[in-house]
Amino acid sequence: MAHQIIFFVLALIIATFSILAVTSKRIIRSATYLLFVLLATAGLYLLLGYNYLFAVQIAVYAGGVMVLFIFAILLTNKPGENLKTELPVRRVVAGATAVAGLAFCAHLIYWNIKKVTVLVEQADITPQQLGHSLMGTDKYQYLLPFETISILLLACIVGAIMIARRR
Amino acid sequence: MRSIAKYFSGLFIGISSLLKGMSVTWRELWTKKVTQQYPENRDTLVISDRFRCELVMPHDENNEHACTACGICQMNCPNGTIVVTSQMIETEDGKKKKILDTHQWDLGMCTFCNLCVITCPSDAIKFENTYENAVFTRSKLVQKINHEGSKLREKKKEVKPVEAKPVVEAKPVVEKKAVEEVKPEEPKAE
Amino acid sequence: MILNYSQPLEVTNLTSWLDSTLRGSLSEFWVLLIEFVIVGALLLAAYAVIALILIYAERKITAFFQARFGPNRVGKWGLLQSVADMIKILLKEIVKINRSDRFLFFAAPFFMIVASMLTFGAIPFGKALHAIDFNIGVLYVTAVSSLGIIGVLLAGWSSNNKYSMIGAMRSGAQFVSYELSAGFALMTIVVLAGTMQFSTMIEGQRYCWNIFNGHISSMIAFVIYLISGHAETNRGPFDLPEAESELTAGYHTEYSGLQFGFYYLAEYLNMFIIASIATTVFLGGYLPIQVKGWVDFNGIMDYIPSYVWFFGKTAVLIFLSLWVRWSFPRLRIDQLLNLEWKYLLPINLVNIVLMVILVLTGLTLTDLLPGIF
Repeated sequence: MAHQIIFFVLALIIATFSILAVTSKRIIRSATYLLFVLLATAGLYLLLGYNYLFAVQIAVYAGGVMVLFIFAILLTNKPGENLKTELPVRRVVAGATAVAGLAFCAHLIYWNIKKVTVLVEQADITPQQLGHSLMGTDKYQYLLPFETISILLLACIVGAIMIARRR
Repeated sequence: MRSIAKYFSGLFIGISSLLKGMSVTWRELWTKKVTQQYPENRDTLVISDRFRCELVMPHDENNEHACTACGICQMNCPNGTIVVTSQMIETEDGKKKKILDTHQWDLGMCTFCNLCVITCPSDAIKFENTYENAVFTRSKLVQKINHEGSKLREKKKEVKPVEAKPVVEAKPVVEKKAVEEVKPEEPKAE
Repeated sequence: MILNYSQPLEVTNLTSWLDSTLRGSLSEFWVLLIEFVIVGALLLAAYAVIALILIYAERKITAFFQARFGPNRVGKWGLLQSVADMIKILLKEIVKINRSDRFLFFAAPFFMIVASMLTFGAIPFGKALHAIDFNIGVLYVTAVSSLGIIGVLLAGWSSNNKYSMIGAMRSGAQFVSYELSAGFALMTIVVLAGTMQFSTMIEGQRYCWNIFNGHISSMIAFVIYLISGHAETNRGPFDLPEAESELTAGYHTEYSGLQFGFYYLAEYLNMFIIASIATTVFLGGYLPIQVKGWVDFNGIMDYIPSYVWFFGKTAVLIFLSLWVRWSFPRLRIDQLLNLEWKYLLPINLVNIVLMVILVLTGLTLTDLLPGIF
């Protein structure tokens, strides 16, 4: 029961603040709402017993990416003031893209949900196991693709520069 | 190569200088505390003699002072702190004489510059180091520093000829000087 | 082994008694709920009380370093001074700043206090006084403490004040840089201890503290951790985010009353948290000083309760931090970043490699002298 309650609270937080993050007109507020979403996601990991993922989520997203975001926003010149509403055509395109993305994610989740539950059952991975699978050289080890996550950081940096750039 | 040596020597010099600084503060931690615990140490508190706190007019045992009511202190005071009021009386031998009525000093206005004491021709006033001068109303700051019923000390008294002599000699000289100094100022002020 | 000695002053019995009585009459859900609430309330109370004690201790020790007496009017030796300050700060008006971003302005102090509170919860204060024991304890602490900087940045932004802004930017640069060093220094010890969990890490230091076990490498890591932890808390020579001579009060210039109190509290508690993590990781945590073979000595040392050991070791480190704070002048921003990026970080990276070599080749003290340690 407690798990259920906590899950619904976290889900509500995630849903509310993701909507707020895209609808807010002040960019720094959007960033803060996004931070709440990320923190609540970390809470979901903790609920699942993925301690390591929880810590990494907080350290990388909340402590790293969000600080970069906020830093970049602080460097801009009065962000969010006299923001014009976009053209209707663009709005429709953006909405369609968002729906398409949602549909894609939903499709993936729906068809892989059974695999996910199997993974959840073997929760509580020790740091030793993680270290071996990251740096070991046996089969199913040496998670080089994990490194590709750093591309995300690159994307963050590029986005921050785009925001910070003076027009 | 040289830059590497410089890097490490800089590092160790920095660490040693930091440790030196910390040793200094460590010694400071055990030094005697210098704070005065004022209301508790009232009895043992030492105030320097030269510390100027309160203007007083010394009176002797006969309730006599040395002030001739010349008003030089009043003229020299930069803030108008001193108000000397005098009155004219006739002595027994029929001479007219100016004597002191009240010597009023305002503690609230005083900057303790000591000019009044320096310029006093008869050394009638001085600053004391009685430092507890706080009062509850501003009017109490205005003090009459000559005692009630006091009178001018006669200089002809041969009780203390040694002390009286320099006063007699010094008085006219200083007085003249003071008057000369003051006089040219008066037209300026007007 | 542990329970052979008499430990009458520990709270282990109290907590287990509480747990068994609750379980006797209530269902699992309610037992857990009540226990969580009790633990949470105790942690909050400890947070406030430790902050008050620290503020008093800081003011006293500061005064002694400057040949003064410090607070000595309110209560005996001024003991009630920080209580009086707390009451004053609670009664003060919370000022609403015109043309500030109200929501972020009010949210910012909570980030600060929540971050330090989350870190505070993971500290092992003693036997049976450890609220949550993650298997990734060290990583958790470094991750969660990084949330505080968001509070600082948001405070600087939302105050709509140039001083606050500059203070926040400085603080951000400082925190992000020094967090790196602090994390690396802790990771050095993780290499030595072979675990990230605080409880097993402490158990492994029963006869030989980590700072002695890894001798050279551990000492360097300890010093680096103290320096960078000190910098993370914005204190001492690293207090340029709130350099009062140039920035009035930095990022919390516009805050008043309880909101300022949050920043104030978090600053002091961060000092405590840094010291207590250093205690846990380097100085054996709540374990007493024990020597292999000296049974009587160990028994006497065990008689002193574990939380006294913990707070004693932490107090020594806090004193060290204050000593540093009142010894050195404030750094400039370029000096600050030079220290981190040119000295601490390279030394740290080399140090980790050195530690790996020490552990792999068996040159740690426990490997070299197994009879003694």
